[in-house]
Amino acid sequence: MLSRSGIARSFSSLNSSIVGRKFCGISRRHKSTSASQDEIGHFQELAPSWWDVHGSQRILHLMNNCRMDFIQRVLHQRVKITNPDTYIPGFNYKEFFPEHVSQNISRELSLEVDAKIQAQKLQVLDIGCGGGILSESLARLPFIEHVTGIDLTKECVEVARNHALRDPSLENKVDYELKALEDVEDKFDVVTCLEMLEHVEAPSEILRHAWLKLKPNGVLFVSTINRDFVSWFTTIFMGEQVLNIVPRGTHHLEKYIKATEITNWFKTHEPFTHQVAETKGLMYLPLKGWVEHDCSDIGNYIMAIKKLDK
Amino acid sequence: MFLRPIGISKEFSRRLATAAAQSPKLTDVLIVGGGPAGLTLAAAIKSSPTLQHLSTTLVDAGDLKGKVASFYDNPPDEYTNRVISLTPPSRSFLQHRAGASLMQDRIQSYDGLYVTDGCSTATLDMERDTMACMIEILNVQSSLLKRLSDLQPDPKAFQLLDKTKVASIEYSDPEDIKSWPIVTLDNGETYKTRLLVGADGFNSPVRKFSKIQSRGWFYNRFGVVATMKLEYPPYKIRGWQRFLPTGPIAHLPLPGENATLVWSTTEPLSKLLTSLPVEQFTALVNAAFVLEDADMKFYYKQLENGTMSTEELIEDVNFRTEQVYDSLQVEELVDEIYPPKVATVLSESRARFPLKLSHADTYCGERIALVGDAAHTTHPLAGQGLNMGQGDVEALVDALERATSRGSDIGSLLSLEPFWAERYPINNMLLGIVDKLHKIYSTDFAPVVALRSAGVNIINNFPPVKNLIKGILGESGK
Repeated sequence: MLSRSGIARSFSSLNSSIVGRKFCGISRRHKSTSASQDEIGHFQELAPSWWDVHGSQRILHLMNNCRMDFIQRVLHQRVKITNPDTYIPGFNYKEFFPEHVSQNISRELSLEVDAKIQAQKLQVLDIGCGGGILSESLARLPFIEHVTGIDLTKECVEVARNHALRDPSLENKVDYELKALEDVEDKFDVVTCLEMLEHVEAPSEILRHAWLKLKPNGVLFVSTINRDFVSWFTTIFMGEQVLNIVPRGTHHLEKYIKATEITNWFKTHEPFTHQVAETKGLMYLPLKGWVEHDCSDIGNYIMAIKKLDK
Repeated sequence: MFLRPIGISKEFSRRLATAAAQSPKLTDVLIVGGGPAGLTLAAAIKSSPTLQHLSTTLVDAGDLKGKVASFYDNPPDEYTNRVISLTPPSRSFLQHRAGASLMQDRIQSYDGLYVTDGCSTATLDMERDTMACMIEILNVQSSLLKRLSDLQPDPKAFQLLDKTKVASIEYSDPEDIKSWPIVTLDNGETYKTRLLVGADGFNSPVRKFSKIQSRGWFYNRFGVVATMKLEYPPYKIRGWQRFLPTGPIAHLPLPGENATLVWSTTEPLSKLLTSLPVEQFTALVNAAFVLEDADMKFYYKQLENGTMSTEELIEDVNFRTEQVYDSLQVEELVDEIYPPKVATVLSESRARFPLKLSHADTYCGERIALVGDAAHTTHPLAGQGLNMGQGDVEALVDALERATSRGSDIGSLLSLEPFWAERYPINNMLLGIVDKLHKIYSTDFAPVVALRSAGVNIINNFPPVKNLIKGILGESGK
């Protein structure tokens, strides 16, 4: 457990921030997007229980529901209705129209959006797929054609492959590879990097490579944890030490990344080609599960960044 | 003697061999049971934009495509005896989300319930516009079948296998409860399913396979149902229920001069009631709503011993009923506090069934969901049984829609948990209320009668509690 002075120290040493870590990552390893042996070893131990929804990964399974709601919403908002016959009210129609009218409008709108989105056939790259919780969920969506999941822990990739075999509907829709990000060659419509930046040595390198793998108009989803007292208290102190709902040793406060650091990285490195589509804070409420909130500067957060077509 | 079992086992092993030879067909949802719950689920899945792509298979032992479906196009003149009370939320779910166009001319909505005590004058008069409606189960089932055939789903996406029974269920990997169950049917076909739904009633084979415990008890009472013809249409369209010490008797309206009867009573009396000549039965129904318990006991005894003729019975009931009517201060009260007299009962419509309470410990497991009577059965006195099943189906469809849009495996416990978390507390509350009502009213012990009568009189004059009860009855505890 971190003592108070420990927190203070780790806060003061944050100036090095993600850029500083990038360099030390590169100097030790030939791959800039690799992870440390400690992290790989930790996930090796977790691999067998990855799909036990009542075991150590339950909290991650529950979080996945919330992440999928966010991803679905962002991908749906991306769709533009072009059919001139569809009525799009330019105001908050649900408040002004009678219920049956507003229900009909929203049903028609959602059918129109669904029809457009089904036609898309997106290609997805899931970086740090672990046992494949997110990859499988994405692969089951009708408008996603294929998901490639990559991870650096051999055991996790095996668990993911075996688990996908259990569902015939995933056949040819998802593939897992034991591979570093920079070795991936294709380009994708959607790249996800969820709950993984806090486990790598050089997060800015991951962002740089993930961005390279994204097609124009594609969306990058990033989620991680703000480096602050609340995060330490919830994810490490309560989650790992007190309630024991997160496996011990999963998180390291000094590896957490502030939401502003990510937006600043994009402002510095991709100033005209990116647009932050949406950012939400995520919070776990014991009786309710994970919920979204608007304070993305505290605790867990998820972010969608669109690559502009230039 | 010895040959027969050998013959059966040979045939059985041959059947197993052919079943094993062809690999099982894959389906996303396999529903066992084509009762109202099972058919509603199938229709709601096929009507939901999010779920309609799921390949769905419904298995039922009865003749759904023939007998049940033909009810919609060629309904009989008279009303059938299996009639249930449908609350507005259940009706709205059936019509809007399952898309059924019910046969409106065979539905009677009613505006309240007039409840009396067979041992005292305590009365609970609950008025509420369109509290619920009475509808034949065949109307619900055939409307849903019509909906399913109108949707014309791709045969790969929906299959209705009627006159077919489930022979066995096993996991594709016996060691792994997360593996897909394999269902073998008695026609030799096998299905491997992502989600197995038990809508298969009280003796649910799916529940037995899932090893989910169901707890409860028999009430030692039987329900006697019948379709009645009234002497004149009711002055107020409402349900009448009188709690006799043997169990409640309920008189519920159907269109025009028709009504339906649910009479809960002891086993020997239920046998007597279903075997009596129709004229005698009719006289007893009329007597039960007006006369005292002592009179009823006298009639039962005379009829059991065969010492009273039909004419004598009818004359005696008429005489005593008139006496009670005459004792009223205002003549108009007759129509206010007693249901319209029954002219006759359709002889073929009489039937009886045992009453019980049961509740499963959970409604779902890995790849298993239980809905309707497979999960819970209740005493019919509050008319909640079918509505609880509709509530289950609605919650299950909601859970499946959410899981599908999140890309989860709809058979996983994680996807199914919200469904039973939503339904279990509500159903448990309704089962509990009905059970306590039955117990409070199944005695003629004077102190209990005095207490319950005082309680009912207070509730009758205290609108907040009365409205709460009306709300529960009219909304299935939503």
